[in-house]
Amino acid sequence: MTGMRLEGLVAGRGQEFRLPPLDLTADSGETLALIGPNGAGKTTLLKTLAGLLTPLAGVIVQTGSPAYLPPPGAVFAGFSALHLTALGRARLRRWSQSLTPDDIAAARAALDRLDIGEFADRPFDRLSSGQQQLVLIARMFVQDAPVCLLDEPLALLDPAHAKAVEAAIRTLAGEGRVVIASTHHLPFAARADRVLAIGPEGIDIGPSAHILAPDRIRALFGVELSGCPCCGQGLS
Amino acid sequence: MDPVSLRKDGLLPAGLILLALTGAILVLGTGPLGVAPGALLAAMIGQGTVEAELAIALRGPRLLAALTCGAALAGAGAGFQILFRNPLAAPDLLGVSSGAGLGAALALLVGAGAALVQGAAFVGGLAAGALALICAAMTRSGDGRLALILCGVVAGALASAGLGLVVVIADPWSQLPSITYWLLGSFTRATLDEAIGALIPVTLGAAVLITLGFRLDILSLGDEQARSLGLPARPLRLLALAAAALMTSSAVAVAGVVGWIGLLAPHAARLIVGEQAGRLVPAAMAMGALFALIIDRLATAFGPAEIPVGLLSAAIGAPAFLALFIAISRRS
Repeated sequence: MTGMRLEGLVAGRGQEFRLPPLDLTADSGETLALIGPNGAGKTTLLKTLAGLLTPLAGVIVQTGSPAYLPPPGAVFAGFSALHLTALGRARLRRWSQSLTPDDIAAARAALDRLDIGEFADRPFDRLSSGQQQLVLIARMFVQDAPVCLLDEPLALLDPAHAKAVEAAIRTLAGEGRVVIASTHHLPFAARADRVLAIGPEGIDIGPSAHILAPDRIRALFGVELSGCPCCGQGLS
Repeated sequence: MDPVSLRKDGLLPAGLILLALTGAILVLGTGPLGVAPGALLAAMIGQGTVEAELAIALRGPRLLAALTCGAALAGAGAGFQILFRNPLAAPDLLGVSSGAGLGAALALLVGAGAALVQGAAFVGGLAAGALALICAAMTRSGDGRLALILCGVVAGALASAGLGLVVVIADPWSQLPSITYWLLGSFTRATLDEAIGALIPVTLGAAVLITLGFRLDILSLGDEQARSLGLPARPLRLLALAAAALMTSSAVAVAGVVGWIGLLAPHAARLIVGEQAGRLVPAAMAMGALFALIIDRLATAFGPAEIPVGLLSAAIGAPAFLALFIAISRRS
């Protein structure tokens, strides 16, 4: 399976905000964590990769269309979690009036896989942020996109749900997808295959041990950290 | 989902549609020209009595107009509520009703005949809707829903101002009563041609909304989600809005401004079939048809002078909406 290649990609919003050019080759099955202070451009980069923003320069080489997930709490739907999950197969049903029983079955299987089958028939709006996030990741399974882009997938989540979401993200990658997730939860970044750090000096890419070294973190966030900024956990 | 509940999904809206049609037959069975359902069916296959044929000829167009308009307003209302994720969205969201009112009032002002008034109302409604859509397309705000609502308010306000002007300059003895009466809404004036003239565009609009089906659910998630799921969000939303505006215009052109059906019926349908657009749109249309049928029957129930449908639908619709809201809020 192929991954994703970026050649001199410049993400940005109009004239007022541009990121430095980015060259990157991500292999299928790889998990990349995207870190950086608020306002550094993590969301802008993810949305550009997702095709929701037009690149200011450079090219994105990939097969198929990526899947994009906004941070927890950003999706509202009054219909059932099962239906929301099945909507991930919309691309396959371009000329059909309705979803098929196959789509529903695939959605149910994906929910069961993430141990949230019991929520299938509940309205999505009635689920907790953590449950909603798992449902939306289940939708990524049925969407079957080669590249999954997740914006702060662990934000707002309690430790147990964060762990479940991280495991689900690993499974997404384990099945041969490229996963790029932005995060402020540095232990998650430490467990990723590579880390992309967007900072004032530019974009750094490398293995987590290298990018998350104390002096680099200090330069990136401008504060002294003995552990994760969001939960205090150690970084190794 | 197992096959049984999949079948049930389709059964609920189908049951509601059947209920509305049964209601129509029952309504024909009441009143001074009442015909028993059996005689009615016989008349439909050409074997009926003179009374039955007379009832169909005299009351049929009006009944068809009520069913069509009720279904159209409710279908458009459901579409707007889904697309804007706003339970207060109603068919006149894009200023369509005010535009249609202005068109009809202008036609009445120049002394046009019934067909021309209907045509002018239809064009006026579509023009207001188009104005709102075009203005919204010129903005660059987020996923565009706020821009659409604002531009709809602007288009509606412009049309209302024009309507006010027409009311002021209309002759208070000869023209103003007909304009006022038209604006209050009625199914009485519908001829068979007019009813069919509404039925065709309403069917077209409904076909678009029903064909969009689950895509309306995706559009309700917002542009980013829709595009990320592979949908051309902006063109599809424009198509859905145009379909809803077409349905609203056709209904207002025949019946005048009949409020509340488009707000109430989708909520009532939602209680029965849930939120999914594929089921909600047809179910809401059936509920709207039923509601219009009942309103129209009541309009003639109290003596020879008819109560304008627009007044009745507000008098019944507003408290019914409140009751529905209380029921829904207590359920959750």
